[in-house]
Amino acid sequence: MKEPPFHKLTPRAIRVWQWSNSIRSLFFFIFPVVYAIIFGMDGFHQWIVISLAVLVFIAWLLSIFLMPYLSWKNWRYAIDENEIDLKRGVIFKTRTLIPLSRVQHVDTRQGPLLGSYDLASVTISTAATTHEIPALDEILADRVRQQISTYARLAEEDV
Amino acid sequence: MSDFKRQHPVAALSRAFGLIRGNIVTILVFLFVGAQSESFPFLWWTLGGFAFLLVVGFANWWRFLYKVEDGLIHIKSGIFVRKNLYLTKDRIQVIDITAGIIQRIFGLVQLDIQTAGASSRAASIEAITRDRAEAINRLLRRKREDSGEEDIDDAEFEIEDEIKQTISLPNKELLIAASTSGSFGIALSVIGTVFSQVEPLISESQFYDYFYSILPSQTDTMFYIALIAGFIVFAWLLSFFGTLFNYGNFSLEIKEKEIVISRGIFEKKRSTVPFNRIQAIHISEGIIRQPLGYASIHLESAAGYGDDRGTGSILFFPLIKRERILSLLDEVLPDYQKELAALKPPNRSLRRYIFRSTFLVTAVTAGVWWWFDLNILMWIFPILAIIWGWLKYKDTALGWGDDILVLQSRNLSKSTAYIKKKRVQDVSISQSPFQRYRDLCSVQVYVASGDRGKSFSVRDVELEDGLTVLEQIRIEGVNTTIDESLKSETERQIIQLPGWV
Repeated sequence: MKEPPFHKLTPRAIRVWQWSNSIRSLFFFIFPVVYAIIFGMDGFHQWIVISLAVLVFIAWLLSIFLMPYLSWKNWRYAIDENEIDLKRGVIFKTRTLIPLSRVQHVDTRQGPLLGSYDLASVTISTAATTHEIPALDEILADRVRQQISTYARLAEEDV
Repeated sequence: MSDFKRQHPVAALSRAFGLIRGNIVTILVFLFVGAQSESFPFLWWTLGGFAFLLVVGFANWWRFLYKVEDGLIHIKSGIFVRKNLYLTKDRIQVIDITAGIIQRIFGLVQLDIQTAGASSRAASIEAITRDRAEAINRLLRRKREDSGEEDIDDAEFEIEDEIKQTISLPNKELLIAASTSGSFGIALSVIGTVFSQVEPLISESQFYDYFYSILPSQTDTMFYIALIAGFIVFAWLLSFFGTLFNYGNFSLEIKEKEIVISRGIFEKKRSTVPFNRIQAIHISEGIIRQPLGYASIHLESAAGYGDDRGTGSILFFPLIKRERILSLLDEVLPDYQKELAALKPPNRSLRRYIFRSTFLVTAVTAGVWWWFDLNILMWIFPILAIIWGWLKYKDTALGWGDDILVLQSRNLSKSTAYIKKKRVQDVSISQSPFQRYRDLCSVQVYVASGDRGKSFSVRDVELEDGLTVLEQIRIEGVNTTIDESLKSETERQIIQLPGWV
């Protein structure tokens, strides 16, 4: 079986994820804060608060300096005239195959963060699910969208 | 019918009743809470609320106009904000004619017109005479004369083909279905909610004293056991009659291009499913029904007109003997390949099944047992969990045929899904680090169903099998067949599907 060539995402994706993770993971600091509010900071509780804070801080650092790199490294996508093949996941690895005849529509999307790095994401919708190729160069993203919709039209079948 | 018409005035009533019925639990709770406070003129508020609903219902009725012209239905509605809905007959998927209690009192029907897809739009005329509904149905369903293009949406509207066969549900099976219904749990929780509101009322009354006096031993434990038993019986009765009314008068009409499923004693429901809209067949054997040898069959369909709003799951047959499933499906859906072999997960995944279903229960049990110093009998829960995990392992299987995938798994009930490969929307295999270590994977297959789609999955099967499924879906696109590794391998654990014979 001939496998279509797999592509990686743009390395700039790492930067985008670093930014978004640095903000998103701040949320977890809520745990030590809430604990401190409920139980106070005396004696025994102080140590729990500190160790929670340290754990969350480590997780925060990892989510900035390690995870974006790993998820970039693990992301692959392949598109040919028959299907879209997506591989992703750092700890839980997932591989998804979408027959092109099932594709209903393709969008490119760009938020401010992606936009500032000239990136865009491609969203692929079938009648049941929606998948995203998260960060591609915007020119490439447009081309990918074009390509998918051309292929999808060729492969058109009913639901 | 080329001028605008109003619905039958009963629509004003039925809307109001619909609202009341939809929020019955809230209203009940509100009644009980409200009745307790004396300063609040509660009765007046309630009556006022009903009057308001009637006025709104009347206004809605007055402002609702519909017109059918040139294969186009145009509906104007909305009291202040006017909505104009146009549906052309090329886009119409299903026309449903139903009759609720209120409609039936006045000899009317409700007409629902639905289109397909995620942004599906539905037009609903709530009260209309049957003749007029049929007339609209005919007007909108008549085959388009100039249909040169092979648009699939048209194909199913050359209908009114004759019924080839009608299958109904025997009374005995209806009773069994009702008494083993799974809506039991839901009923229990509804009663629980209501009771938690009523409880302060009755505890102040003589009800308790009365109860105490009739119980054999007047201890609190006995009282609570009796209470719980009472609850369960009551919940069971609710679900029994609920199911009875829902599935009563069940009949399945098989036509050339579609099947018509009708059911319901007081509230009649009729669903029309064109054969080419069926995405998957799904057989579930409930935990109570399975030992009795019964199962129910559902269909997944693409348009959003399933039994619950938004989903495309339609009850195809409420209850059937396991041995008869095959012959029924062969009659109705002969293009599904049903007698297949399927691969079981390898032995090494048994421990993962047992671990997954056990660890939480065991941890909780151990904790509770230790902290509260409870009876040793507590440990029955982890043992049950082990059995459950083993059952899940035993009932998991993955199989494929020329054009079909079969996924069998168990949660509480055992479910077997038959999916045509060309209906698969996407397929994923995933691996956790532990699965990677053991060369296992989970497979998830999505089919279109209603607005959202529905997924079927199996866990901890051989990685190789998962990849084979992936390849098959890949190959389906280019229309070649692959050699089936299934028959050659004898050392692998193979179970015969369907496991109903």
